[in-house]
Amino acid sequence: MAAETVICIGCPLGCRVSVAVDRRGKVAGMRGARCRQGEKYVLKELREPVRTLTTTLRTADRDFPLLPVRTSRPVLKALMRDIVRETASVVVKPPVKCGQVLVSDVCGSGADLVATTDWSLRAGSRKKER
Amino acid sequence: MVERVDVAVIGAGPAGLAAAVAAREQGAERVVIIERAERLGGLLPQCIHNGFGLLYFGEDLTGPEYERMFIRKAERAKVEARLESMALDISPDLEITAVGSRHGYTKIKTGAVVLAMGCREKARGALGIPGGRPAGILTAGTCQRYVNVDGFIPGRRFVILGSGDIGMIMARRLTLEGAKVEAVVEIMPWPGGLIRNEVQCLHDFGIPLLLEHTVTFIHGETRIQGVTVTRVDRERRPIPGTERFIPCDCLLLSAGLIPENELSVKAGVELDPVTGGPLVDENRQTVIPGIFAGGNVVQVHDLVDWVSWEAEVAGRNAARFADRGGIPFREEVRVRAGENIKYVVPQFISGEEEVTLHLRVTRPGLRAALLLGGKLFKRYRSVRPSEMIIEKVDVGRLSQAIGDGELRVDCRLGEEA
Ligand code: SF4
Repeated sequence: MAAETVICIGCPLGCRVSVAVDRRGKVAGMRGARCRQGEKYVLKELREPVRTLTTTLRTADRDFPLLPVRTSRPVLKALMRDIVRETASVVVKPPVKCGQVLVSDVCGSGADLVATTDWSLRAGSRKKER
Repeated sequence: MVERVDVAVIGAGPAGLAAAVAAREQGAERVVIIERAERLGGLLPQCIHNGFGLLYFGEDLTGPEYERMFIRKAERAKVEARLESMALDISPDLEITAVGSRHGYTKIKTGAVVLAMGCREKARGALGIPGGRPAGILTAGTCQRYVNVDGFIPGRRFVILGSGDIGMIMARRLTLEGAKVEAVVEIMPWPGGLIRNEVQCLHDFGIPLLLEHTVTFIHGETRIQGVTVTRVDRERRPIPGTERFIPCDCLLLSAGLIPENELSVKAGVELDPVTGGPLVDENRQTVIPGIFAGGNVVQVHDLVDWVSWEAEVAGRNAARFADRGGIPFREEVRVRAGENIKYVVPQFISGEEEVTLHLRVTRPGLRAALLLGGKLFKRYRSVRPSEMIIEKVDVGRLSQAIGDGELRVDCRLGEEA
C-alpha cells in the first residue's frame, strides 16, 4: 500500500490529505481532509490532475513579440511541459482575435491553444502612436 | 487653457478602468483617465495566467482577457483616455497638472478625482542583504514583463526571495520555459501568497519552498553567482551554522507590494500606516474632499475582481460628488483593528448603511471567530494573513456592534497554526 499526499486548494485551510493507494491503484483510505468537497477534490486530483495552461506564442512583430494564449480547457498536468516545448517554434501572424484557435488539439491533449487578446489591442495601439 | 471635466481618474489599470466606467454609469458627463503609459490596461497584459474575473464576470479569465473586457466596457461607456500623461499634482480645488510627450503640460479642472495608481513591488527586500551589487537581481514583476511581454528570459538558474503570488507564478512560468528555479525562500513560517499558487506553481513542478529561511549574502561581482540562504529563528534572525550556498544567475524579489501614493501624499491625502493607502470612508472618499481612491492604491488585494469592485465604489461616488458639488466624508464611526487584525478598510463609516469590510489577520490559525464590537459575527475554519477576508455587514448588525463611535473588529483563534 502506497501513501500519497495531496494539498487541497478548496479553501484557505489547505488541508494536507494523505491517501492510501492499494496495489491496483485504488484509493483505500483518506486522512486529513476536513470536508467532503475536499475529499472529492483530492480523488479527482489523484485520478486525473488537470490544469489550465497559460503561455505565449511568438510573433514576427518586433514591437509585439509574444501573443498570450491559454488552453481551451484544462489539460493533464503532465502535458504542460510538452505543450510549451512543442509550440516554441510556432509563429503567429495577424490578424488574431481573442478566443481564436491557434493550435488545435495541442499535443493530443484534446484542448486547443487559443489567443487571450486581440492582436489589434496590442500592436495596433503602438502603430497609431508613430 | 484649463480643460474642464467631471471626473478625472489617475491610472488605467483594472482599478482606473472600472472607476471610469462606474463614473459614467452614474451620470458623469466627461470622464477622463490620465495614464502615464502608452496604453490602457496597466499591468494586466503581463499577467498572462488565469484566475481573474471569477467574481466579476463569473468566468475564469487570464489577465489579458480581463483587460480586454474592461477596455471594451470603457470604450462603450465613452470614457476618454489621456495616454502618456503623468499626473504630477492635484490642487485643493481639484486642478490636476499633468505632463507627457503627447500632450505636453496640461491642466485639468475636475469635479472629482479617483486615485487608481495601483501598487508597486517592494525592492527593499534586497537592500539589507550583504554582499555585492551584481547584475541579475530584479523584482518578480519586472521579470514577468521580460518573459511574458518582451520575450526574453533574464537568466537560467533562479532563486526567488519571498513567496508572494507573482514570485510563485513566475517560478512556474520560468520552469515551463526551460529555466531552473532552485528555490523559493520565505522568511515567514507560512507562504506569502495564495494556497492555490503554492500547489499549482511550486508543488506541481517540485520547486522547493524554504519557509523560515532568508537570503543572507549575495555572491558575485559583475553577475550574481549565487546566494547564501540561512534558516531564521522565531524572531526572524538568521541562525548561525544553518547557511547554505545556492548557485544562481538571477535573484527575483517577491517580497510584497506597496500602494503607490506619492501623488496622494502631495495632494494632502492622509495615509493609513498599515495599509500604506489612503484613509477612506465607505464611499472611498479620502480626507481631502473630492479625492476618492480605489483598488491597490488603497490596499493590496488578492484578487483583481475586488480591485475593480472597490474602484467602482470610488468612481460612482466621485460622480455623485461632482454632480452635487460635494458629499460629506463619513467619519461618524471609526473602524478599529483589534486583536489579531492587521487592518480593516474602510477605516471610517457612517454606520447608517450596509458596508463591506475588507480585512486581513496578523497571524494564521484554525477555528477562527470574527467579532464585531465584541459580538460573534462569523466563524471560519481557518484564516491566513495572505487571504483577505471580505464581509458584508448590514445595518442591523452594524448598529448592534457600534459603540462609542467605534466599530471594533477582532479575530480570535481557536488554535494557532
Ligand atoms: S478539505 Fe475542505 S476544509 Fe480542507 S482545504 Fe479542502 S475545502 Fe478546505
